Amino acid sequence: MIWAQLLTTVVMFGSVYAVLTLALNLQYARGGMINFGMVAYFAAGAYAYAIVTQAPPEGLDQYLFGFAAPWWAGFLAAGLASLAFAVLTGWPTLRLRGEYLALTTFAFAEVFHSVLLNERRIGNGSVGLSNVERPDVAWTGLDDTIVYAVAALTMMLATAYVFNRILASPYGRVLDAIREDELAAQTVGKKITRIRFEVFLISAIPVGFAGALYAMITTLVSPTLYTAEVTFTVWIALVLGGERTIVGAVLGTMALIFIQESLRVYPFETVRAAQIAASAEEILTGAIFIVMLRWQPFEKLMKKGRPS
Amino acid sequence: MTGDFLAVDRITRSFGGLKAVGGDAGLSFSIGKGAFLGLIGPNGAGKSTVFNLICGVLKPNSGQVILDGTVLSDLTVSEIAARGLGRTFQTPRAFPSLSVLENVLVGADNEGEHVLAALSRRWRARDAELTEKAFDVLARVGLADRAADSVSNLSGGELRMLEVARQLIRDPRILLLDEPTAGVDPNLQRKLSALLAGLHRDGTTMIVVEHNLHFLLEIADRVVVLQSGELLAEGSPGEIKSDARVISAYLGANHAA
Repeated sequence: MIWAQLLTTVVMFGSVYAVLTLALNLQYARGGMINFGMVAYFAAGAYAYAIVTQAPPEGLDQYLFGFAAPWWAGFLAAGLASLAFAVLTGWPTLRLRGEYLALTTFAFAEVFHSVLLNERRIGNGSVGLSNVERPDVAWTGLDDTIVYAVAALTMMLATAYVFNRILASPYGRVLDAIREDELAAQTVGKKITRIRFEVFLISAIPVGFAGALYAMITTLVSPTLYTAEVTFTVWIALVLGGERTIVGAVLGTMALIFIQESLRVYPFETVRAAQIAASAEEILTGAIFIVMLRWQPFEKLMKKGRPS
Repeated sequence: MTGDFLAVDRITRSFGGLKAVGGDAGLSFSIGKGAFLGLIGPNGAGKSTVFNLICGVLKPNSGQVILDGTVLSDLTVSEIAARGLGRTFQTPRAFPSLSVLENVLVGADNEGEHVLAALSRRWRARDAELTEKAFDVLARVGLADRAADSVSNLSGGELRMLEVARQLIRDPRILLLDEPTAGVDPNLQRKLSALLAGLHRDGTTMIVVEHNLHFLLEIADRVVVLQSGELLAEGSPGEIKSDARVISAYLGANHAA
C-alpha cells in the first residue's frame, strides 16, 4: 500500500517537474541558453491559475483580483501568464550569453519572488492563496491523487511529444547549429535572435501549465513553494538524466523525485526525526549533483553502449 | 565594367587606434557580376578583415560596402547572408554534433525552420528535395561518401570543402572564400580548382583570398593586392605577376626587378 502511494506521488510530482526539465532541456541542452530562473515561469502559471479561478476578495483577503472562472480558463491563463513572463524577460536578456544570461534570469526570478512575497495585493503576500480551486474528479470514481497523477503524466507526455517533434525537424538542426557556432549559422542566413527568442517562449508555455496543475495538486499557492530550490532541482534532474535527450530528461527527473519522496514515506515517530530527514534529503540531493558533475556515470554508460 | 556587383567604397577600420584597413583614404575596389577576383597580400595585410567588413562581422569605421545596389553596412551578418552573400572562414567552422550531411543542410533555407511549420511536418517534402541537393553538392566537393560521417572524422582540408558545400547548397550570388587551399592535399586542390572554375562558368561572382598564387593566378580574372590594409596593386594575373611592387612585397626587396 505504501509503495502504491509512493509510486503515485512520484509519478504525479515527477511528471510536473519533468515538464520543467523538458523545457530546460530545450532551452539549455539544445538551445544553449542558461536559464536559472525556471521557477518564475512555474510560479507565474500557478499564480495565474489561482487568481483566475478564485472567488473575489472578502473579509481578511488582501488580494485584489479573483475572477471565479472555471478551472480550464485558469489553466489557459497559466500558459499565457508564463508566456507573457517569458516575453517580458526574454526580450531584453536573450542577447546575453552564457553566465550573463544565467545571472540575469536568476535575478528576474528573485525579483519576481520578492514581488509575490511583498506585494500582498497579488496573492496575499507570504500567506499565499489557499483552497485553490480544483476540478471535480469524482466522476472518474478514482482516488483524487491517481487522477492528478494521470493528468500530470499526460501533460508531461504531451510536452515531450511536441518538443520531440520540434527537435526532430530542421528546426532542431538549426538550433544545434546556433548553439555550436553562432557566426557560422549567421553566415548561412540564420536569424539567431528570432530562433532563440522563439525557443524561450515555446518552452515557457508548458511550464505555465505545469504550474497550474501543481496549484491544483497542492491547493496552495504561496511564495515559499516557489523558491530557487525548484530551479536547482530541475537543473540537477537534467544533469542526472544526461543532457540532450528527452528520455534522459524525464528519467532523471523521475529518479530525483523518487529519491526525495522515498525519504518522506518513512513513518517518523517524532517531529525531530522528520526534521533531520528533511535536512538529509537536501544534503543527499546536493551530493547526487556533485557525484553527477564529477563522474558523469550515465554519460559514460551511454558512450560505452554506442559504437564509436 | 558594366555596373559593379559588389563595391567596396573607401572603407576604413582600425583596432584600438591602429589602422587595420584603408589607411587614411579608405580602401576601394569593386567586382563585376560573374567575375573572379583574387585577393592577395602578405600575412597581416588585412585580407580576412576585409572579408569580415564585407560580410558584416565587422562594421567599417567609415565608407560602405554595396552589394547589387544595397548598402550592407547597416545590415546584420544573417541579413547580408540572406541577400546571397556566402563566405568561408580561414579556420573552417563546422557544427560538431551534426553529421556531414546535416552540416550541409543547415546551409539551406527550409520552411521547417519556423516553429509552427516544424510541428506540422510540412517541411518533409522540402527536406527530401534539399537532401538530394545536399548529396549533389557533397559530390561536387568530393565528400559524397562521407555524408553520414561525424565531422570530427574529417581532415582539415575536408572541413574546408564541407564549408564550401554548406555555402553552395544556398546557391550564393557571391561567394567569398578565405584560403580555400590551405591544408588541402594536391588531389583535392585539383578538384577544388575545377569546382571553382565550374562555378565561375556558371556565373557565380567570387572573391578568393589565397596564399597559393599558382592556384589563384590560374583561375582568377583580376587580382587585388593588399599591403598593410591598403591597395598595393590591381590588375590581371599577368600584370600582377610582373609587378615589381608585388614581387617585393611578397618575396622581399632583394628579389625585385
